[in-house]
Amino acid sequence: MVKITYVEHDGTPHQVDVAVGRSVMRGAVENDIPGILADCGGACACGTCRVFVAAEFRSVVGGPNAIEEATLEIDDDPRPGKRLACQIPVTGALDGLIVHMPERQF
Amino acid sequence: MQLISDLELSHLAVDEDWFGADPIPQFQVARARHPWLATSPLGYVVTEYKSIRELFLLDSRMRGNYDEMVEMMGAGGTPWGDFQLGHILNARGDRHKRLRDILAPAFTPRQANRHRQVMRDVMVELLDEWVPKRTFDFEEFASWYPIKVICRMIGSPEEAIPELRDSLEALGRSVSVDLRVLDAMQKGTERLDAYCSELIETRLAMHEPGDDNDLLDVLLAIYVKHELSHAELVNLLTFLLVAGYDTSKNVMTMMMFEMCRNPAVYARCAADLAYCAQAVDEAMRLHGTNNMMRIVMEDIEHRDVLIPAGTTLFFPWAIIGQDPGAIDDPGVFIPDRPNQIRHLGFGLGAHMCLGQHIARAQIAEGIHLIAQRITKPATTGPRGWRPFPGVWGMEGLPIEFVPA
Repeated sequence: MVKITYVEHDGTPHQVDVAVGRSVMRGAVENDIPGILADCGGACACGTCRVFVAAEFRSVVGGPNAIEEATLEIDDDPRPGKRLACQIPVTGALDGLIVHMPERQF
Repeated sequence: MQLISDLELSHLAVDEDWFGADPIPQFQVARARHPWLATSPLGYVVTEYKSIRELFLLDSRMRGNYDEMVEMMGAGGTPWGDFQLGHILNARGDRHKRLRDILAPAFTPRQANRHRQVMRDVMVELLDEWVPKRTFDFEEFASWYPIKVICRMIGSPEEAIPELRDSLEALGRSVSVDLRVLDAMQKGTERLDAYCSELIETRLAMHEPGDDNDLLDVLLAIYVKHELSHAELVNLLTFLLVAGYDTSKNVMTMMMFEMCRNPAVYARCAADLAYCAQAVDEAMRLHGTNNMMRIVMEDIEHRDVLIPAGTTLFFPWAIIGQDPGAIDDPGVFIPDRPNQIRHLGFGLGAHMCLGQHIARAQIAEGIHLIAQRITKPATTGPRGWRPFPGVWGMEGLPIEFVPA
């Protein structure tokens, strides 16, 4: 288990334990965290699990692959660290991860 | 824990022709009896927005009901039956993932944005032709839009469009489990098979490695690498035509119906494309077009109810956005409402609509231009309704208007 903090758009934090091997999206959905929809269930298709990875974790998390990058163009929010939570596998190195949610997912 | 079959539930006659004309009151009655379930001739209907979202967290325990549908229609071994059983919505596990991965690059938001100019060009041409009429059937008008856009996206000749449209109209009833239209669906499938096979053969003759001019090039590049069989390629192309046609047309028609009742919203859609995109989502919350069934493969427990393997669940995606438990003023058309919920018009889970980003862009671009050229639209209402199961929608929407 690692600790992940999901921060709502209004600043409300939710810290939960997520099992290694799950995705950051699953960690949110299975803990009823508001602000992540994940309509396609993790298929990198709907773009409704967008998060902004906190600056100190961006190098560990890494950047999106080609399909994810094309899907992230669902909006034009230019802030750095934008990722689809379904495409971030949870590893031990992500203990303490902080992700921020956008104002809306659609 | 109660067994689903032991619950006392209301019955929804979703398969009756009259049901599609006004389903919302029927759902209200059902919810008064049980908060999230009702029975129907096609399976248990999940009547609550929140329950649908929660059940789809267990998507991998359910599958589509296409095998059963083909059997109910007595259509095994026929062109339509083979198409139904072979398409991507009926694929599961590794095969589904392989097909989805092949198609995904062609359906991202980036690709949808890349096609926006084609969408605008087609709509301007249609408006130039139709606006001088001052009155027409909006559904018929709207039907030419997605088919022309798709044909340009796959480089199909324009002269094929009228016959294609007739075939797609027939195939639009594929999920309605209606024996009355089986013959038309068989003929439509045969025509679409022949059309897609010819299109593939013609293009293959001139296809060069690295060609990336349109969607067909993307598929052919995969085919020539032997990652897709010829039958799969024909089926995929046919499916893309079928899936992209009447869903977009029906949403646009129902959206125009709402716009006729909300002139201020319509005027803003003419002026503001971003607002228009919100209006598309709100229109789909009020009236989506798809109502689909799933078969439970492993027992599911939900809110102290046991849903055993083998149970058929009916998901009314099209109207579930009007669940009063999920949103205030559910029947009112307010595109920029503050506490909007995500409509389920594109479904949920691994089989969620692949073309959703193209559909949203296409409808928003289309309505934005329509609202600029067709002013003060008025309607006497729909001429009829399509069956509620499967691809639902209005059957004819006469409008009168003032050309801009």
